[in-house]
Amino acid sequence: MTPKRWKMVRKGVQYVALGAFFALFIASRRGGWAAEVVNAPMRLDPLGMLANLLASRTPLAGSALALVIVLLTLVFGRAWCGWLCPLGTVLDIFTPQRKLQPIFKEPARLRSIKYALLLITVIAALFTNLTLLIFDPLTILFRTLTVAVWPAIDRILSAVETALYNAPLLQDPINAFDKVARPALLPDTPLYYRDAALFAAFFIGLIALNWLAARFWCRYLCPLGGLLGLFSKVSLVRREVVASACTGCDACARLCPTGTIQLGKNGASDPSECTMCLECLRACPRGGETFKPVLKPAKLQPYDPSRRQVLASIGAAAVGVGVLRSETAARRDDAHLIRPPGARENDLSAKCIRCGECMRACPTGALQPALFEAGLEGVWTPVLLPRIGYCDYSCNACGQVCPVAAIPPQTLDDKRLTVIGKAYINTNRCIAWADHRDCIVCEEMCPLPEKAITLVESADSPVKLPVVNRERCIGCGICEYKCPLNQAAIQVYAIGQSPS
Amino acid sequence: MAIGLGSGAAGWLLNACGSPALPPSPTLAPTATARPELPYLVVARGATEPEELVKRALAALGGIERFVKPGHDVIIKPNISVGYYGYQYAATTNPWVVAALVRLCKGAGARRVRVMDFPFGGLAEEAYTRTDIKGQTIAAGGEMEVMSSLKFTKLELPKGRDLRSCTVYGDILKADVVIDVPIAKQHSLAQLSCGMKNLMGIMIERQAMHFNIGQRTADLASGIPIALTVVDAVRILRDNGPTGGNLNDVQKIDTIIASADVVAADSYAATLLGLRPNDVAYIKAAVAMGLGRSDLAVMKIEEIKVGG
Repeated sequence: MTPKRWKMVRKGVQYVALGAFFALFIASRRGGWAAEVVNAPMRLDPLGMLANLLASRTPLAGSALALVIVLLTLVFGRAWCGWLCPLGTVLDIFTPQRKLQPIFKEPARLRSIKYALLLITVIAALFTNLTLLIFDPLTILFRTLTVAVWPAIDRILSAVETALYNAPLLQDPINAFDKVARPALLPDTPLYYRDAALFAAFFIGLIALNWLAARFWCRYLCPLGGLLGLFSKVSLVRREVVASACTGCDACARLCPTGTIQLGKNGASDPSECTMCLECLRACPRGGETFKPVLKPAKLQPYDPSRRQVLASIGAAAVGVGVLRSETAARRDDAHLIRPPGARENDLSAKCIRCGECMRACPTGALQPALFEAGLEGVWTPVLLPRIGYCDYSCNACGQVCPVAAIPPQTLDDKRLTVIGKAYINTNRCIAWADHRDCIVCEEMCPLPEKAITLVESADSPVKLPVVNRERCIGCGICEYKCPLNQAAIQVYAIGQSPS
Repeated sequence: MAIGLGSGAAGWLLNACGSPALPPSPTLAPTATARPELPYLVVARGATEPEELVKRALAALGGIERFVKPGHDVIIKPNISVGYYGYQYAATTNPWVVAALVRLCKGAGARRVRVMDFPFGGLAEEAYTRTDIKGQTIAAGGEMEVMSSLKFTKLELPKGRDLRSCTVYGDILKADVVIDVPIAKQHSLAQLSCGMKNLMGIMIERQAMHFNIGQRTADLASGIPIALTVVDAVRILRDNGPTGGNLNDVQKIDTIIASADVVAADSYAATLLGLRPNDVAYIKAAVAMGLGRSDLAVMKIEEIKVGG
């Protein structure tokens, strides 16, 4: 097969993999595809699965899927990065083709950042902390799609549809489009996510780094790249220079997307940095390189983790976890830290890989990324905000879809009995209590067969007054969601808390 | 002066109790021609298939052809207010009642029969399936439609006394025939949830209705052209409405009420729940606005016993 053919094949595989990731993202909704199918990308991720295993001390059958990628790496090096990683493919799409190599002079040890990040992530996991998984490439891409990209596309499409709907001739095609697209692809009522702009900015920033050097993230920062890089030190198939054919022109070095071909070392490359893209094969006019099985471990590079670096990472992880756990959030739960059903009792913080699958699956947009409710340690773990979305009484999607059962899978009947919070009425705000006017929306909305809100008639009140029966309340939040006031007079607080 | 005041008071009292003079004809049904030779309201009862009850009730009312003409675009608006429980819990309209109407409309030559609602608890896709209305509608040749936020439009309510405008699903206003198919339920504020209350499902923001639910429900109903109302009382929800969830609150009475006048249908449904029609605020308001009749005692009602 010619090098040009290889490039076509690789690009094909990249786009199919990205397409599959995107399709699984779309299907990650209640009523979509089976949970084990849609959360497969997360379970393929060796970094996420390893960190979760260390932090939770709970081996999960589903996590074994990651061994497939480990095996792939032991045979073909960082082929995941060059052929399969959806974030890598996105970065390849948004790369200025003219200049792939750094526009700055690359410090010798810049590439060690990813190893440092990897080591700190893994060691922190030993301390049951998974905060740094927010830097895993798959979780970055999935979260950004969930919180920023897809809702933004929905907003734009809806605006266009609404504008075009004014033209009578276009109404039938738009209706037909809507019937296909909603709710299968886009939500039928708009969903909103907190700090979408922040997520978008982070992602755009990450892509923008490509203008400093192609695949900047993959070269210098990606902790998964670091992990696969370490495995690649003993990978089987590697790039080797054919000394007899190489004339020392820099055609291959210029085209290498991770810039690992070092002319000063006779065109040798580091297998830990090589993403097996085969561009060098295409670049070389003389057949100066080949990819073949090599059995000895790769040479150490100045940026590889040294013993000192490992010790420093242990120290940094310890200090980091220590500091995070000195925050007030570690002492007392925020009253608004309502977790998905079953998650609080299940030690969510030590298991959650910050992938955002639950937020994507939640049909009402109730699950939102925590910013500070769970302290810095819990950033981007799921929190339920009833004012944004209520926990649908007929839904158990989050527990089904979570790749690591941080939110435990529950039957619908069990989930309906699981308490996540309790509702409290502020009688100084409530329309019935304070303004003596009819309302009772909260009572009407309560989904329990024996409602957790009852209406009392009082001699002092011309209208019926809602009262919460806290024994029954499960904290689903539909009462808070539907309260007609602009700040809900009935609010759900996390269990164990009372309004101060 | 005392006699003057007295007779004035007596006159006022007489008027307030409702005079025996002919009530105004309902203004809600422009597509259904008034047919004085037919019963004004039909009640079909029998421990048989709900479909049979619906067919017999419609036949006695003059047949579906009275309301649906060939080529018509029909919308059936059942109660799919929540997606929490199956139809046995009587929180949502019986799927076979809906299916029966779909079949009748298709049989009358309707071009398209759509079934839709906008649940307040849960999402439409789940609710349509869990209540089994989707399954039965499609089996009967109808279409389920998810009410897209794109198509809501402002509706002025010139007859409204409290609510003067609202935002409703545009297609309801554009359809040739709208059939209201509520289920009779207890409601903690409105006392009764039935035909007129069922119309809240086509509104997008409903919270404000509760501040004056009686008058505002009637105001809403004044702006929606309902051709036919078929009340599902196969099972009724006697308590813990409108969401239900407790089979002990469900009473199976195998009854279907049909009328071209939604106010009359709701009035009869009220009696099934042990209420007097004029005790229900929205029925009283609707009668005062001339939207329909609640005087069951003098109404031409046909009661049919179906089956064994």
